[in-house]
Amino acid sequence: MENLIAQLEEILETTNLDLTKKFKDYEEWDSLSSLTIISLLDSNYSIKMTNAEILAFNHLAEFCEFVKNNAK
Amino acid sequence: MNFQFKNKVISGILTVLPDNEVLFEDEMSNYNFSEQKSLKLKAAMGFNKKRVVKNGETSSDLCTYGLEYLVDSSLLEVSEIDALIFVSQTPDYIMPPTSNIIHGKLGLKRDVLCLDINQGCAGYIIGLIQAFMLLDQKSINKVVLLNADVLSPKVSKRDRNSNPLIGDGASVTIIEKTELENNIHCSVKMDGLGAFALNIPAGGAKLPNSNETALLEEDYAGNFRSKDHLVMKGDEVFNFVQTEVPELIEEVIKVSGYNKDEIDYFMFHQPNKFMLNKLADKLEVPREKMPSNVVENFGNASGVSIPTVITFNISDKLLSQSNLLCLSGFGVGLTWAAIIMKFENLKFSKIIYK
Repeated sequence: MENLIAQLEEILETTNLDLTKKFKDYEEWDSLSSLTIISLLDSNYSIKMTNAEILAFNHLAEFCEFVKNNAK
Repeated sequence: MNFQFKNKVISGILTVLPDNEVLFEDEMSNYNFSEQKSLKLKAAMGFNKKRVVKNGETSSDLCTYGLEYLVDSSLLEVSEIDALIFVSQTPDYIMPPTSNIIHGKLGLKRDVLCLDINQGCAGYIIGLIQAFMLLDQKSINKVVLLNADVLSPKVSKRDRNSNPLIGDGASVTIIEKTELENNIHCSVKMDGLGAFALNIPAGGAKLPNSNETALLEEDYAGNFRSKDHLVMKGDEVFNFVQTEVPELIEEVIKVSGYNKDEIDYFMFHQPNKFMLNKLADKLEVPREKMPSNVVENFGNASGVSIPTVITFNISDKLLSQSNLLCLSGFGVGLTWAAIIMKFENLKFSKIIYK
Protein backbone atom coordinates (compact mmCIF):
# COMPACT_ATOMS: atom_id res chain seq x y z
CA MET A 1 0.00 0.00 0.00
CA GLU A 2 2.94 2.34 0.60
CA ASN A 3 3.59 1.95 -3.09
CA LEU A 4 0.04 3.04 -3.97
CA ILE A 5 0.37 6.13 -1.80
CA ALA A 6 3.65 7.05 -3.47
CA GLN A 7 2.03 6.60 -6.87
CA LEU A 8 -0.93 8.79 -5.92
CA GLU A 9 1.46 11.44 -4.58
CA GLU A 10 3.27 11.48 -7.89
CA ILE A 11 0.04 11.75 -9.91
CA LEU A 12 -1.45 14.45 -7.66
CA GLU A 13 1.92 16.23 -7.38
CA THR A 14 2.05 16.32 -3.61
CA THR A 15 4.68 15.13 -1.12
CA ASN A 16 2.33 14.52 1.75
CA LEU A 17 -0.90 12.80 0.73
CA ASP A 18 -3.78 13.61 3.06
CA LEU A 19 -5.93 10.47 3.25
CA THR A 20 -8.87 12.35 4.72
CA LYS A 21 -9.20 14.40 1.51
CA LYS A 22 -11.08 13.55 -1.69
CA PHE A 23 -9.46 13.41 -5.13
CA LYS A 24 -11.33 16.55 -6.16
CA ASP A 25 -9.76 18.48 -3.26
CA TYR A 26 -6.42 18.30 -5.04
CA GLU A 27 -5.42 21.09 -7.39
CA GLU A 28 -3.86 18.59 -9.82
CA TRP A 29 -7.05 16.55 -10.14
CA ASP A 30 -8.38 16.60 -13.73
CA SER A 31 -9.37 14.18 -16.49
CA LEU A 32 -5.71 13.37 -17.13
CA SER A 33 -4.89 12.48 -13.52
CA SER A 34 -8.11 10.46 -13.42
CA LEU A 35 -7.09 8.51 -16.52
CA THR A 36 -3.60 7.99 -15.11
CA ILE A 37 -5.14 6.46 -11.98
CA ILE A 38 -7.53 4.29 -14.04
CA SER A 39 -4.54 3.07 -16.05
CA LEU A 40 -2.48 2.43 -12.89
CA LEU A 41 -5.32 0.40 -11.35
CA ASP A 42 -5.59 -1.63 -14.56
CA SER A 43 -1.85 -2.31 -15.00
CA ASN A 44 -0.73 -2.78 -11.39
CA TYR A 45 -3.80 -4.04 -9.55
CA SER A 46 -6.05 -5.55 -12.30
CA ILE A 47 -8.92 -3.36 -11.16
CA LYS A 48 -11.29 -1.70 -13.65
CA MET A 49 -12.75 1.54 -12.44
CA THR A 50 -14.55 4.46 -14.07
CA ASN A 51 -14.06 8.13 -13.33
CA ALA A 52 -17.45 8.30 -11.55
CA GLU A 53 -16.52 5.34 -9.32
CA ILE A 54 -13.23 6.98 -8.34
CA LEU A 55 -15.00 10.22 -7.47
CA ALA A 56 -17.60 8.38 -5.39
CA PHE A 57 -15.13 7.53 -2.59
CA ASN A 58 -15.65 9.71 0.48
CA HIS A 59 -11.92 10.09 1.03
CA LEU A 60 -8.61 8.69 -0.19
CA ALA A 61 -8.33 6.27 2.74
CA GLU A 62 -11.51 4.58 1.55
CA PHE A 63 -10.11 4.40 -1.98
CA CYS A 64 -6.83 2.85 -0.77
CA GLU A 65 -8.73 0.33 1.33
CA PHE A 66 -10.80 -0.65 -1.71
CA VAL A 67 -7.68 -1.15 -3.85
CA LYS A 68 -6.04 -3.24 -1.12
CA ASN A 69 -9.07 -5.51 -0.86
CA ASN A 70 -9.68 -5.89 -4.59
CA ALA A 71 -6.19 -6.10 -6.09
CA LYS A 72 -5.64 -9.29 -8.09
CA MET B 1 -16.75 -13.83 -34.89
CA ASN B 2 -13.95 -15.14 -37.09
CA PHE B 3 -13.69 -14.80 -40.86
CA GLN B 4 -11.17 -16.45 -43.20
CA PHE B 5 -10.41 -15.45 -46.77
CA LYS B 6 -7.83 -16.32 -49.38
CA ASN B 7 -6.65 -15.31 -52.85
CA LYS B 8 -7.11 -11.63 -52.12
CA VAL B 9 -4.57 -8.82 -51.70
CA ILE B 10 -4.42 -5.15 -50.93
CA SER B 11 -2.67 -3.67 -53.96
CA GLY B 12 -2.49 -0.02 -52.97
CA ILE B 13 -3.23 2.48 -50.20
CA LEU B 14 -3.52 6.23 -50.59
CA THR B 15 -4.15 8.56 -47.65
CA VAL B 16 -5.58 12.02 -48.35
CA LEU B 17 -5.11 14.59 -45.59
CA PRO B 18 -6.12 18.26 -45.47
CA ASP B 19 -3.40 20.84 -46.18
CA ASN B 20 -4.51 22.85 -43.15
CA GLU B 21 -2.48 22.17 -40.01
CA VAL B 22 -3.46 23.27 -36.47
CA LEU B 23 -1.10 23.20 -33.47
CA PHE B 24 -2.19 22.13 -29.98
CA GLU B 25 -0.90 25.46 -28.66
CA ASP B 26 -3.08 27.41 -31.14
CA GLU B 27 -6.21 26.16 -29.38
CA MET B 28 -4.98 25.87 -25.81
CA SER B 29 -6.60 29.13 -24.69
CA ASN B 30 -10.04 27.72 -25.62
CA TYR B 31 -9.81 25.20 -22.80
CA ASN B 32 -10.91 25.79 -19.26
CA PHE B 33 -7.56 24.62 -17.84
CA SER B 34 -4.28 26.25 -16.94
CA GLU B 35 -1.58 26.26 -19.61
CA GLN B 36 0.58 24.08 -17.39
CA LYS B 37 -2.14 21.42 -17.09
CA SER B 38 -2.82 21.45 -20.81
CA LEU B 39 0.88 21.04 -21.61
CA LYS B 40 1.01 18.08 -19.25
CA LEU B 41 -1.89 16.52 -21.17
CA LYS B 42 -0.12 17.25 -24.45
CA ALA B 43 3.00 15.42 -23.29
CA ALA B 44 1.13 12.41 -21.87
CA MET B 45 -1.15 11.90 -24.87
CA GLY B 46 1.28 12.87 -27.60
CA PHE B 47 -0.76 15.80 -28.92
CA ASN B 48 0.99 18.25 -31.20
CA LYS B 49 -0.29 18.91 -34.72
CA LYS B 50 -3.50 17.91 -36.42
CA ARG B 51 -4.91 18.22 -39.92
CA VAL B 52 -8.44 19.53 -40.28
CA VAL B 53 -10.48 20.79 -43.24
CA LYS B 54 -10.72 24.54 -43.61
CA ASN B 55 -13.15 25.45 -46.33
CA GLY B 56 -16.15 23.26 -45.60
CA GLU B 57 -14.71 20.29 -47.44
CA THR B 58 -16.59 17.06 -46.91
CA SER B 59 -15.85 13.35 -46.97
CA SER B 60 -16.71 13.03 -50.68
CA ASP B 61 -14.39 15.94 -51.57
CA LEU B 62 -11.38 14.20 -49.99
CA CYS B 63 -12.31 10.82 -51.50
CA THR B 64 -12.86 12.23 -54.98
CA TYR B 65 -9.54 14.08 -54.81
CA GLY B 66 -7.77 10.82 -53.93
CA LEU B 67 -9.51 8.81 -56.63
CA GLU B 68 -8.76 11.45 -59.29
CA TYR B 69 -5.12 11.48 -58.21
CA LEU B 70 -4.92 7.70 -58.72
CA VAL B 71 -6.64 7.88 -62.12
CA ASP B 72 -4.41 10.76 -63.27
CA SER B 73 -1.32 8.86 -62.08
CA SER B 74 -2.42 5.75 -64.03
CA LEU B 75 -2.61 3.75 -60.78
CA LEU B 76 -6.33 3.03 -61.17
CA GLU B 77 -8.68 2.56 -64.12
CA VAL B 78 -12.21 3.75 -63.46
CA SER B 79 -13.65 0.98 -65.68
CA GLU B 80 -12.05 -1.73 -63.49
CA ILE B 81 -13.95 -0.77 -60.32
CA ASP B 82 -16.58 -3.42 -59.58
CA ALA B 83 -17.53 -2.20 -56.11
CA LEU B 84 -17.16 1.07 -54.22
CA ILE B 85 -17.41 0.86 -50.44
CA PHE B 86 -17.59 4.11 -48.46
CA VAL B 87 -17.08 3.82 -44.70
CA SER B 88 -17.70 6.98 -42.68
CA GLN B 89 -19.54 8.64 -39.83
CA THR B 90 -19.70 11.90 -41.77
CA PRO B 91 -21.60 11.27 -45.01
CA ASP B 92 -22.33 14.30 -47.23
CA TYR B 93 -26.10 13.86 -46.86
CA ILE B 94 -28.60 11.66 -45.01
CA MET B 95 -29.72 10.67 -48.50
CA PRO B 96 -28.43 9.79 -51.11
CA PRO B 97 -25.52 7.49 -50.21
CA THR B 98 -22.15 9.25 -50.53
CA SER B 99 -20.76 6.29 -52.52
CA ASN B 100 -23.39 7.01 -55.19
CA ILE B 101 -22.39 10.67 -55.29
CA ILE B 102 -18.75 9.67 -55.78
CA HIS B 103 -19.82 7.15 -58.42
CA GLY B 104 -21.44 9.98 -60.40
CA LYS B 105 -18.51 12.37 -59.98
CA LEU B 106 -15.99 9.79 -61.18
CA GLY B 107 -18.16 8.42 -63.99
CA LEU B 108 -18.01 4.81 -62.84
CA LYS B 109 -19.73 2.10 -64.89
CA ARG B 110 -23.32 1.19 -64.02
CA ASP B 111 -22.50 -2.46 -63.52
CA VAL B 112 -21.16 -1.83 -60.02
CA LEU B 113 -22.09 -2.06 -56.35
CA CYS B 114 -21.95 1.14 -54.27
CA LEU B 115 -22.25 0.68 -50.55
CA ASP B 116 -22.18 3.13 -47.59
CA ILE B 117 -21.25 1.74 -44.17
CA ASN B 118 -21.56 3.71 -40.92
CA GLN B 119 -18.50 2.76 -38.86
CA GLY B 120 -15.75 4.71 -37.13
CA CYS B 121 -12.58 3.63 -35.37
CA ALA B 122 -12.93 0.03 -36.60
CA GLY B 123 -14.15 1.17 -40.02
CA TYR B 124 -11.01 0.16 -41.89
CA ILE B 125 -11.27 -3.44 -40.70
CA ILE B 126 -15.03 -3.62 -41.30
CA GLY B 127 -14.53 -2.15 -44.79
CA LEU B 128 -11.76 -4.63 -45.65
CA ILE B 129 -13.86 -7.59 -44.49
CA GLN B 130 -16.74 -6.34 -46.65
CA ALA B 131 -14.35 -6.02 -49.61
CA PHE B 132 -13.05 -9.57 -49.12
CA MET B 133 -16.63 -10.91 -49.00
CA LEU B 134 -17.51 -9.12 -52.24
CA LEU B 135 -14.39 -10.50 -53.93
CA ASP B 136 -15.70 -14.01 -53.30
CA GLN B 137 -18.19 -13.20 -56.10
CA LYS B 138 -17.30 -14.17 -59.65
CA SER B 139 -18.40 -10.79 -61.01
CA ILE B 140 -16.19 -8.76 -58.66
CA ASN B 141 -12.43 -8.55 -59.32
CA LYS B 142 -11.50 -5.17 -57.92
CA VAL B 143 -12.97 -3.30 -54.96
CA VAL B 144 -12.24 0.28 -53.96
CA LEU B 145 -12.57 0.89 -50.23
CA LEU B 146 -12.98 4.52 -49.23
CA ASN B 147 -12.64 5.57 -45.60
CA ALA B 148 -13.38 9.16 -44.73
CA ASP B 149 -14.07 11.04 -41.55
CA VAL B 150 -14.45 14.79 -41.29
CA LEU B 151 -15.35 15.06 -37.63
CA SER B 152 -13.62 18.35 -36.77
CA PRO B 153 -16.80 20.41 -37.41
CA LYS B 154 -18.59 18.11 -34.94
CA VAL B 155 -16.18 18.69 -32.05
CA SER B 156 -16.48 21.58 -29.61
CA LYS B 157 -13.39 23.81 -29.72
CA ARG B 158 -13.76 24.10 -25.93
CA ASP B 159 -13.66 20.34 -25.32
CA ARG B 160 -10.17 19.41 -24.14
CA ASN B 161 -11.23 15.75 -24.10
CA SER B 162 -11.73 15.45 -27.85
CA ASN B 163 -10.72 18.59 -29.72
CA PRO B 164 -6.91 18.16 -29.44
CA LEU B 165 -6.98 14.72 -30.98
CA ILE B 166 -9.62 14.82 -33.71
CA GLY B 167 -8.27 15.17 -37.24
CA ASP B 168 -9.90 14.82 -40.66
CA GLY B 169 -8.89 12.62 -43.55
CA ALA B 170 -9.74 10.02 -46.16
CA SER B 171 -8.11 6.98 -47.69
CA VAL B 172 -8.45 4.90 -50.82
CA THR B 173 -7.55 1.21 -50.63
CA ILE B 174 -7.59 -1.13 -53.61
CA ILE B 175 -8.37 -4.77 -52.90
CA GLU B 176 -8.29 -7.40 -55.63
CA LYS B 177 -8.14 -11.07 -56.45
CA THR B 178 -4.75 -12.80 -56.67
CA GLU B 179 -3.30 -16.15 -57.68
CA LEU B 180 -1.40 -16.21 -54.38
CA GLU B 181 -3.11 -18.22 -51.67
CA ASN B 182 -2.58 -15.44 -49.09
CA ASN B 183 -4.61 -16.64 -46.12
CA ILE B 184 -6.37 -13.80 -44.33
CA HIS B 185 -7.60 -14.13 -40.74
CA CYS B 186 -10.15 -11.70 -39.31
CA SER B 187 -12.01 -11.35 -36.05
CA VAL B 188 -14.83 -8.92 -35.23
CA LYS B 189 -16.71 -8.27 -32.01
CA MET B 190 -19.50 -5.83 -31.17
CA ASP B 191 -21.25 -4.67 -28.02
CA GLY B 192 -24.20 -2.35 -28.48
CA LEU B 193 -24.59 -1.95 -24.72
CA GLY B 194 -21.68 0.46 -25.05
CA ALA B 195 -23.17 2.24 -28.08
CA PHE B 196 -23.11 5.65 -26.40
CA ALA B 197 -19.53 5.56 -25.10
CA LEU B 198 -18.74 7.63 -28.19
CA ASN B 199 -21.62 9.53 -29.76
CA ILE B 200 -23.07 12.70 -31.22
CA PRO B 201 -26.39 13.12 -29.36
CA ALA B 202 -28.20 15.44 -31.81
CA GLY B 203 -28.62 15.53 -35.56
CA GLY B 204 -30.35 12.23 -36.21
CA ALA B 205 -34.05 11.31 -36.06
CA LYS B 206 -34.10 10.81 -32.28
CA LEU B 207 -32.94 14.35 -31.55
CA PRO B 208 -32.93 16.71 -34.53
CA ASN B 209 -30.61 19.74 -34.40
CA SER B 210 -32.28 22.81 -32.87
CA ASN B 211 -31.35 26.00 -31.06
CA GLU B 212 -31.60 24.01 -27.86
CA THR B 213 -29.22 21.24 -28.95
CA ALA B 214 -26.69 23.92 -29.95
CA LEU B 215 -26.40 25.34 -26.40
CA LEU B 216 -22.98 24.82 -24.81
CA GLU B 217 -22.99 23.11 -21.42
CA GLU B 218 -20.11 22.46 -19.01
CA ASP B 219 -19.39 18.86 -18.03
CA TYR B 220 -17.98 17.61 -14.69
CA ALA B 221 -14.42 18.00 -15.94
CA GLY B 222 -14.76 21.59 -17.14
CA ASN B 223 -15.25 20.93 -20.86
CA PHE B 224 -17.89 22.84 -22.81
CA ARG B 225 -19.90 21.12 -25.51
CA SER B 226 -23.44 21.02 -26.92
CA LYS B 227 -25.62 18.11 -27.95
CA ASP B 228 -24.59 18.80 -31.55
CA HIS B 229 -21.03 17.89 -30.59
CA LEU B 230 -19.16 14.61 -30.38
CA VAL B 231 -18.82 13.31 -26.83
CA MET B 232 -16.47 10.60 -25.66
CA LYS B 233 -16.48 8.84 -22.29
CA GLY B 234 -12.71 8.59 -22.13
CA ASP B 235 -12.52 6.41 -19.03
CA GLU B 236 -15.00 3.83 -20.34
CA VAL B 237 -13.29 3.71 -23.73
CA PHE B 238 -9.88 3.26 -22.07
CA ASN B 239 -11.11 0.37 -19.91
CA PHE B 240 -12.84 -1.24 -22.88
CA VAL B 241 -9.74 -1.06 -25.08
CA GLN B 242 -7.33 -2.35 -22.43
CA THR B 243 -9.62 -5.28 -21.60
CA GLU B 244 -10.96 -6.37 -24.95
CA VAL B 245 -8.29 -5.57 -27.53
CA PRO B 246 -5.43 -7.69 -26.13
CA GLU B 247 -7.80 -10.66 -25.87
CA LEU B 248 -8.96 -10.18 -29.46
CA ILE B 249 -5.40 -9.92 -30.78
CA GLU B 250 -4.27 -13.04 -28.91
CA GLU B 251 -7.26 -14.89 -30.36
CA VAL B 252 -6.70 -13.85 -33.97
CA ILE B 253 -2.98 -14.66 -33.70
CA LYS B 254 -3.85 -18.11 -32.38
CA VAL B 255 -6.35 -18.75 -35.19
CA SER B 256 -3.83 -17.55 -37.80
CA GLY B 257 -1.24 -20.12 -36.73
CA TYR B 258 1.55 -17.50 -36.73
CA ASN B 259 3.77 -16.73 -33.74
CA LYS B 260 3.46 -13.24 -32.35
CA ASP B 261 7.08 -12.43 -33.19
CA GLU B 262 6.58 -13.36 -36.85
CA ILE B 263 4.30 -10.34 -37.24
CA ASP B 264 6.30 -7.45 -38.68
CA TYR B 265 4.01 -4.62 -37.55
CA PHE B 266 0.94 -4.04 -35.45
CA MET B 267 -0.85 -1.25 -37.28
CA PHE B 268 -3.57 -0.17 -34.89
CA HIS B 269 -6.17 2.55 -34.71
CA GLN B 270 -4.57 5.71 -33.27
CA PRO B 271 -6.53 7.11 -30.30
CA ASN B 272 -3.43 8.55 -28.59
CA LYS B 273 0.13 7.58 -27.70
CA PHE B 274 -0.72 6.80 -24.07
CA MET B 275 -3.31 4.17 -24.94
CA LEU B 276 -1.18 2.57 -27.70
CA ASN B 277 1.88 2.25 -25.48
CA LYS B 278 -0.23 0.56 -22.81
CA LEU B 279 -1.59 -1.82 -25.44
CA ALA B 280 1.87 -2.66 -26.77
CA ASP B 281 3.11 -3.38 -23.23
CA LYS B 282 0.09 -5.53 -22.43
CA LEU B 283 0.54 -7.55 -25.62
CA GLU B 284 4.31 -7.75 -24.95
CA VAL B 285 4.98 -6.31 -28.37
CA PRO B 286 7.99 -3.96 -28.82
CA ARG B 287 6.69 -0.40 -29.07
CA GLU B 288 8.59 0.14 -32.35
CA LYS B 289 6.44 -2.59 -33.94
CA MET B 290 3.31 -0.64 -32.99
CA PRO B 291 3.80 2.92 -34.27
CA SER B 292 1.85 5.54 -32.30
CA ASN B 293 2.88 8.71 -34.13
CA VAL B 294 -0.31 9.55 -36.06
CA VAL B 295 -2.06 11.67 -33.43
CA GLU B 296 1.00 13.89 -32.87
CA ASN B 297 1.47 14.51 -36.58
CA PHE B 298 -2.02 14.51 -38.07
CA GLY B 299 -4.67 13.89 -35.39
CA ASN B 300 -6.97 10.90 -35.21
CA ALA B 301 -9.29 10.69 -38.22
CA SER B 302 -11.19 7.70 -36.90
CA GLY B 303 -11.48 5.02 -39.63
CA VAL B 304 -8.64 6.64 -41.60
CA SER B 305 -6.10 6.19 -38.79
CA ILE B 306 -4.97 2.70 -39.84
CA PRO B 307 -4.25 3.61 -43.50
CA THR B 308 -2.51 6.74 -42.15
CA VAL B 309 -0.25 4.84 -39.73
CA ILE B 310 0.62 2.41 -42.55
CA THR B 311 1.34 4.95 -45.28
CA PHE B 312 3.22 7.30 -42.91
CA ASN B 313 5.53 4.67 -41.41
CA ILE B 314 6.18 1.75 -43.73
CA SER B 315 5.41 2.79 -47.32
CA ASP B 316 8.95 1.97 -48.54
CA LYS B 317 8.84 -1.51 -47.02
CA LEU B 318 5.40 -2.21 -48.48
CA LEU B 319 6.54 -1.28 -52.00
CA SER B 320 9.65 -3.46 -51.93
CA GLN B 321 8.86 -6.58 -49.93
CA SER B 322 6.23 -8.82 -48.35
CA ASN B 323 5.18 -7.88 -44.80
CA LEU B 324 3.01 -9.72 -42.30
CA LEU B 325 0.75 -7.18 -40.61
CA CYS B 326 -1.75 -7.29 -37.79
CA LEU B 327 -4.33 -4.49 -38.16
CA SER B 328 -6.79 -3.59 -35.43
CA GLY B 329 -9.51 -0.96 -35.02
CA PHE B 330 -11.57 -0.36 -31.87
CA GLY B 331 -14.06 2.19 -30.68
CA VAL B 332 -17.48 3.54 -31.60
CA GLY B 333 -20.20 0.91 -31.61
CA LEU B 334 -18.64 -0.53 -29.53
CA THR B 335 -16.78 -2.38 -32.26
CA TRP B 336 -13.39 -4.05 -32.06
CA ALA B 337 -11.86 -5.99 -34.91
CA ALA B 338 -8.53 -7.27 -36.21
CA ILE B 339 -6.95 -8.76 -39.33
CA ILE B 340 -3.73 -10.69 -39.82
CA MET B 341 -2.59 -10.82 -43.43
CA LYS B 342 0.40 -10.54 -45.71
CA PHE B 343 0.85 -7.34 -47.67
CA GLU B 344 2.57 -8.30 -50.94
CA ASN B 345 4.54 -5.59 -52.79
CA LEU B 346 1.97 -2.83 -53.07
CA LYS B 347 1.70 -0.81 -56.30
CA PHE B 348 1.40 2.39 -54.27
CA SER B 349 1.43 3.46 -50.64
CA LYS B 350 1.57 7.16 -49.91
CA ILE B 351 0.06 10.26 -48.35
CA ILE B 352 -1.11 13.23 -50.42
CA TYR B 353 -2.41 16.57 -49.14
CA LYS B 354 -5.41 18.52 -50.39
